[in-house]
Amino acid sequence: MKDAFLLVYRNMKERKTRLALTILGITVGIGAVIALMSIGYGMQESITGQLVEMVDVIMVTPGAMEFGSFGEFGSFTDRDLEAVNRIGGVKDAVAMRGTMEDVEYRGETFRVEVVGIEPRDIGAVFGETVKLEEGGDAGRGTTGRELRDNDHKTCEIGYSIAYDYFSDELGVNDRLTINGSKFRVVGILEEQGGFTDIDSQIYVTARDAVTILDNDDISVIFVRVRDIEDAEEIAAEIEERIDDNHKLDDFTSAMTMGSAIEDLESVFGILQAVLIIIGSISLIVASLVIMNTMLMSVMERTHEIGVMKAIGAKNRNILSLFLLEVGVVSAIGGVFGCIFGVIGAHAISFGMQTALDVEIAAIVKPEVLLGGVAVAMIVGVLSGLYPARKASKMSPVEAVRYE
Amino acid sequence: MIRTENLTKVYRMGEVEVQALRDVNLEIQDGEFIAIAGPSGSGKSTLLNMIGCLDKPTSGAVFIDDIDTGKLSENKLAEIRREKIGFIFQQFNLIHTLNALENVALPMFFAGVGRETRLKRAEELLAKVGLGDRVDHKPSELSGGEQQRMAIARALSNDPEIIIGDEPTGNVDTEAGNAIMDLLEGLNREGRTIIVVTHDAEIAARAGRTKRMRDGKVLD
Ligand SMILES: Nc1ncnc2c1ncn2[C@@H]1O[C@H](COP(=O)(O)OP(=O)(O)OP(=O)(O)O)[C@@H](O)[C@H]1O
Ligand SMILES: [Mg+2]
Repeated sequence: MKDAFLLVYRNMKERKTRLALTILGITVGIGAVIALMSIGYGMQESITGQLVEMVDVIMVTPGAMEFGSFGEFGSFTDRDLEAVNRIGGVKDAVAMRGTMEDVEYRGETFRVEVVGIEPRDIGAVFGETVKLEEGGDAGRGTTGRELRDNDHKTCEIGYSIAYDYFSDELGVNDRLTINGSKFRVVGILEEQGGFTDIDSQIYVTARDAVTILDNDDISVIFVRVRDIEDAEEIAAEIEERIDDNHKLDDFTSAMTMGSAIEDLESVFGILQAVLIIIGSISLIVASLVIMNTMLMSVMERTHEIGVMKAIGAKNRNILSLFLLEVGVVSAIGGVFGCIFGVIGAHAISFGMQTALDVEIAAIVKPEVLLGGVAVAMIVGVLSGLYPARKASKMSPVEAVRYE
Repeated sequence: MIRTENLTKVYRMGEVEVQALRDVNLEIQDGEFIAIAGPSGSGKSTLLNMIGCLDKPTSGAVFIDDIDTGKLSENKLAEIRREKIGFIFQQFNLIHTLNALENVALPMFFAGVGRETRLKRAEELLAKVGLGDRVDHKPSELSGGEQQRMAIARALSNDPEIIIGDEPTGNVDTEAGNAIMDLLEGLNREGRTIIVVTHDAEIAARAGRTKRMRDGKVLD
């Protein structure tokens, strides 16, 4: 076996350029697959990750158009909130009163979604997923705090509001003007990234939302259930109760995070499949490269094959030498492909972050790497099989005569 | 013993048929040293290829130790080439990527001989043909005569009874040619059957018996 490797190694040394090209072909093929899959996993993770931590949450939104107010989604009332709270199995029901308001800071004004929420409910909605930024205070080192029940004219602001919206960065205790009233910033939320709106929202107490901003309407209700098993059932009941209150059909949409994740996962299944198809095309190209190289190698070594046969090599000796060669080449290509794929995935991730400001981590799964090497070897050996068989079946006299 | 029976080989190249061998009947006893001479194209190489199990006859048969080689599978033929026959070519036909030791050990590798044994025997064989100090050399680093001696060492690798040489001295100078013939004579004294094709009358004279060929026939 060692000598078989030696023979293969010597042959490879002899044909460095072609060998390098073949390995490059496999590297690019496998690398592309690995990079695409890792980015695919990253996308999936960045979206479902946040949802997974909220599996026991049902998000209730006004889903249909309200009668008479064309083009608007409508909103819930406090009566709806109470109705939801009365449903068995509901642990918490939290109302968020979100409206778009003019927000001004040092002469600049933006329209921003301002959300009113009961301070004690913040934890119930966000759980552990949304935290205050530590020391995140335009460099002033104050961590800030959450909203409190008896707060008046205070707000917690999303990461982008603090750092991206206005020319001057906002810090704890800075004041901004919402719809003409001054609000003091008590805390800044950690950057969420991904696809939530939290980064560009401002939170105020429900009381301030109602009294100062004159916003009675509930735009979304978050419900936490006691038992995840019951989530779907409770969601259905919520829809029924609120629809009854409004005397409308299909007005309410209550979505469990579990079903949201399922939906997303099927979307990601399709995404992965598309990525795999793209990757497969590069693998097919790699396979053609291998087959071409091996056929050329067989051609070039016709004479040598004849000599080996003349001195007693059996067909299967020749076959295994060629398969060993293609196996070694593919394994090397596979390993380089892994390295290239990992680097590629991180490059894509970095590129998306700098160019598009989308944060998608490259998630490199070890099984994908192992699979990459395995696929390289399988593709390699399969592509090498035909050339190797061709070599092994050569007639010794013909091959020896060939120069 | 090697025996051919009405051995005929026809090459077909499109419309043209070439009768390379016509009804050749030849007997070579064990331990014989036989030279085959004849003009170019008379069928000498074709005959050696048939005897050496590299090619199959169109009709007729080659018997080696009373086995009809035409009836054997490709695998069996490979085994005969590996175990019973040592082939020496005019062009040496060494594997240029391997050094002397590896070249000589190659037939043993195909025979599945263990690595230690293989390398030890290859070293002994190289010493025997006078290349004991050239084990690490690639064929391209050696002279023609040395390369042919390396090829002889390789032919001896699995200790074959029959050595077949197709103009083994054709590509080397007289001095090296004589050295090669000395080696072949030595192998013949060990009891091996030696069959060589040669154009050189002097070389042919060193064989026990010379057969002449013309137009695919062995003359009496
Ligand atoms: N593979 C082949 N295909 C077609 N014709 C062939 C083939 N091998 C040999 N021949 C023909 O068979 C005849 C005998 O060839 P062979 O090689 O046996 O001659 P030779 O006596 O060895 O000649 P030389 O002394 O030149 O080596 C020649 O006419 C040759 O052209
Ligand atoms: Mg010839």
